[in-house]
Amino acid sequence: MSRPGLDGDGQGVVSVLELRGVSKTYGQEPARVRALGGVDLSVRAGEMVAVMGPSGSGKSTLLTIAGSLEEPTSGEVLVCGMALAGMPRGRKARLRRRVIGYVFQDFNLLPGLTAAENAALPLELDGVAVPKARAAGLAALEALGVAGQAGRFPDQLSGGERQRVAIARAVVGDRRLLLADEPSGALDSVNADEVMRLLHEACQRGVATLVVTHDAQLAAWADRVVVLRDGRVSGQTTRPPGPESLLTPGEIR
Amino acid sequence: MSTVLRDPPDLAGDAGGIVARRAVARWGWRLFRREWRQQLLVLGLLTVAVAATIWGVGVVTNTQLSNPNYATFGTAAAQVTLPGSDPHLAADIATIQARWGPADVIENKDITTGTTQSVYLRAENPHGHFNSPLLGLVSGRYPAGPGQVALTSQVAALYGAHVGGTWRAAGTAWRVTGIAADPSNLADEFALASPGQVTHPSQVVMLLGSAAAQQAISGGNGTLPGVPAATLSFPTGQSGRVSPATVILLVEVLGLVFIGLVSVAGFSVMAQRRLRALGMLSAIGATERNLRLVMIVNGLAVGVAGALAGAAAGFAAWFAYVPALQQAAGHVVDAANLPWWAIALGVVFAVATSVLASRRPAKTMAAVPVVAALSGRPAPPKAVHRSALPGVIVFAAGVVCLATAGGLAGASGNGGSAALHLVGGLAAVIIGIVLLAPLAISMLRASSWLPVAIRIALRDLVRYRARSGAALAATTFAVFLAMGICVVASVQFENVLSWTGPNLSSSQLIVYAQPEQGGPPVASLSSTQLAEVSRRVSSLAASLHARSAVPLESAGATLHQVGAQAHKDFTGTAYVATPQLLATYGITAGQIAPGTDVLTMRPGMASLPHMELAWGNYGIQQGPGGQGHKDSVLPSCTVSSGCLTSPRMQTVSGLPSGTSAPNTVITEYTVTKYRLQTQLGGWLIQAPAPLTAAQISAARQFARTYGATVETESGSLGPGEIADGATALGIVIALSVLAMSVGLIRSETAQDLRTLTATGASGTTRRTITAATAAALGLLGAVLGMAGAVIAGLAWARSSLSVMFGDVPLTDVLILLIGLPLIAAVAGWLLAGREPPLIARQPIE
Repeated sequence: MSRPGLDGDGQGVVSVLELRGVSKTYGQEPARVRALGGVDLSVRAGEMVAVMGPSGSGKSTLLTIAGSLEEPTSGEVLVCGMALAGMPRGRKARLRRRVIGYVFQDFNLLPGLTAAENAALPLELDGVAVPKARAAGLAALEALGVAGQAGRFPDQLSGGERQRVAIARAVVGDRRLLLADEPSGALDSVNADEVMRLLHEACQRGVATLVVTHDAQLAAWADRVVVLRDGRVSGQTTRPPGPESLLTPGEIR
Repeated sequence: MSTVLRDPPDLAGDAGGIVARRAVARWGWRLFRREWRQQLLVLGLLTVAVAATIWGVGVVTNTQLSNPNYATFGTAAAQVTLPGSDPHLAADIATIQARWGPADVIENKDITTGTTQSVYLRAENPHGHFNSPLLGLVSGRYPAGPGQVALTSQVAALYGAHVGGTWRAAGTAWRVTGIAADPSNLADEFALASPGQVTHPSQVVMLLGSAAAQQAISGGNGTLPGVPAATLSFPTGQSGRVSPATVILLVEVLGLVFIGLVSVAGFSVMAQRRLRALGMLSAIGATERNLRLVMIVNGLAVGVAGALAGAAAGFAAWFAYVPALQQAAGHVVDAANLPWWAIALGVVFAVATSVLASRRPAKTMAAVPVVAALSGRPAPPKAVHRSALPGVIVFAAGVVCLATAGGLAGASGNGGSAALHLVGGLAAVIIGIVLLAPLAISMLRASSWLPVAIRIALRDLVRYRARSGAALAATTFAVFLAMGICVVASVQFENVLSWTGPNLSSSQLIVYAQPEQGGPPVASLSSTQLAEVSRRVSSLAASLHARSAVPLESAGATLHQVGAQAHKDFTGTAYVATPQLLATYGITAGQIAPGTDVLTMRPGMASLPHMELAWGNYGIQQGPGGQGHKDSVLPSCTVSSGCLTSPRMQTVSGLPSGTSAPNTVITEYTVTKYRLQTQLGGWLIQAPAPLTAAQISAARQFARTYGATVETESGSLGPGEIADGATALGIVIALSVLAMSVGLIRSETAQDLRTLTATGASGTTRRTITAATAAALGLLGAVLGMAGAVIAGLAWARSSLSVMFGDVPLTDVLILLIGLPLIAAVAGWLLAGREPPLIARQPIE
């Protein structure tokens, strides 16, 4: 199947996210901790990349830097070809409203807002008229199969429903980059698989997706799997992806 | 790999505009609806502030008449009183009307009622030119012809009369046509008849317009030319005093400053609880401005809700209180007569306080890095600025300023400069305390032998000393304020001779037998006048349900202390300790030591050295024209010159405290021994209950009629009341600050609390940590505040330590020093113990 932005050999394609030699250290000497060290990563439009690695390997830091929530200590981050370094905070906020969508492990829906309002929130924050934003939010919920819960508040939804609403919020509008941090971590296996399917569907619509996960089976949904260890890329899979590929050491390079 | 961007995203545009603001405002509003219970303290404080303001402005505005002259003059510019004994009464009335234009003629005749209540049969035109504030119809109609009368409700009740019935008085059977009242003086009891229906009036009052007033003034001497029997009086001028509502508003603003401080802490706790949600909002593209708006909308919602609740409570309290106020004030109160501008301002101030208080936490939380906010971690403790040295310098400068202010105050003509130094010194001392607080916190050391909960509490205080330092500064300030007031009050009352003590109690009243107490010498009343006044005073005492009016005799003697540089005079009047006066206070002759010259209740006065009792013309130099003035250098103190060295003084606690009540008296033994001349100075009336405003008003009217002066409670406070009030206020402020600060510090360390619980700590441990945090801050604040106040007080008063500590109420010191930390610890213990996940994890789904 051909997807927007992806071609067969990867030549001349669009990189929605590009990390070049990104490093991140926390704290001061002697308690300095290096979370990332010279990471290079590129995610093309319509590509789903899974990031795996042990705890403390820098997966979440990679995601927050990619999403403009943190500044790297060194290196360069480009989203849709735009360098984040030196970008004003207001522009970064607009980038997060219009380009980047986040999915968190623990859903992070706003209490006090209904599912539809949560889904439409990025558009409303961007100044889109309320009826138009609501319609887009409802459409996103519809696509994710939770339109029936649109009027409910987060505490009236199940875990799977909450995560679907969170995904709807992350993809609503014309988003190009989806960042998911353990999106199925708080779900049972059935719902976890469903969430990955929904993310995969988003990819098929041309959204570049970077997913952090511990679960090798869920990582099999990805086009590519990047393995982080001690803040460095220690290997990545190549296509064809599949759970079995992770189990064969020879295919990890 | 080369990258080609086919379709770059459009990042132009603003921050989302009104739509984005509306979206976050909606969320802020819904959060308030979900979590208003957590903000009950702030809501309650704002409600009380607004309610108290509305009730307060209503009371102060309506306690006095809008124009005090209405009660006597109506809208007239002058009043003429003609005695009923005037042989040319009818002619004089006609003359006055002919010369000075339209006048309201009010004819009064005393009616014997069989009680002490005086009632007038009054003839007047109810629709006169100037009497509208003096006459109102409650029910029925005004009398319109002979034999008709309208009664006040009390007179009707006294006689069992009713509208349509018959009332027999003054030898006539009157038909009651209605119930009337004097809206400006509800104590004015009368029966209103038509003009000309009162024969042989005991007094005629004429209300005149401005033309008469002008002519009478130009005529001089307050008399009307050609009418010698007339007594003329004028309304007193309305001074341009500050509106009482403005004073109440100022008090509200002061209260709101404190409420604002508490609100900042409260909103900080709320912002802390919403940290993860705010982080998430930021992660999906909300700007810092959007994040701030969430908290500010919450502040606005709290302010509006508090103001509305306060307005509802305030108006309910006001309308419920109007009847009681009407009775106490003695005039009709219009419940709708409220200073609406002041009420509107009070409400706006309350809302503005809440909004302003929410701005700082909003700004702080919006600046927390998104990743830290998402993880629910507060920003790491801020490094404390090196504020110790500036703190010491500023504090020292403040102390020097206060010392200078004390010195300047003693010198004449330097009042303005002294006030400037005093204010500057106080401000510097307070700023110094704030700067020194973090240093004081860092000095807290938790020894390893302490229980783990206390160790954790103390170390957290040091870790988060940017926060705990501010809390300590606020607590210290509250204690400083309370202790400072105690110290200053005790210094003020240090000189028992010049004792600015509390005035009369609310149930006491003194009638002075001369027009102006303490004023220039005036001619005493004649013996006949005194006898008449005495009889009337007894009647007044009876109307106040007092057992008697105790005569106060003055011996013309006074006390002073001879010093190395200047002598100190006794303030007040030393009355004679007559048996009747002593009996009033339950003091028997057996309680007085033989040979005692002076009895006093002023603490420490009996032991003062170098005291002298002087009488007659001792130290008075007769000048030309018989005018006497005090010698700058006193002659030697001998009995022959009217002076007794070291009079024997005895402290008798039974005497009443107060400057006007006889708290220092000369024994009859001394009066007799030194042949002191006594004269009646007045009467002390001790009522069984506090005097009402109407009773005080009636007493003043009585005094005006008979050329006497009355003194009642002035409202000034004594040192004990001042110290107790200050202590209570300081503790309330300190505890409020502590409650908020401790909640904030503990919520910041909630992760640690979860860890503790996971390792087996029980609710007791959590309670102990909170209690120890509150107690440590309370104790440190009390010690620092007290030390600061004593140092500042010493600098200002330049007194010796012994005098300072001799007069400062130790009970209040102990309450602040021990009570404050104890209450804080107990409250912390009781309020803590909540399950940590509720604190550590914000309510985000």
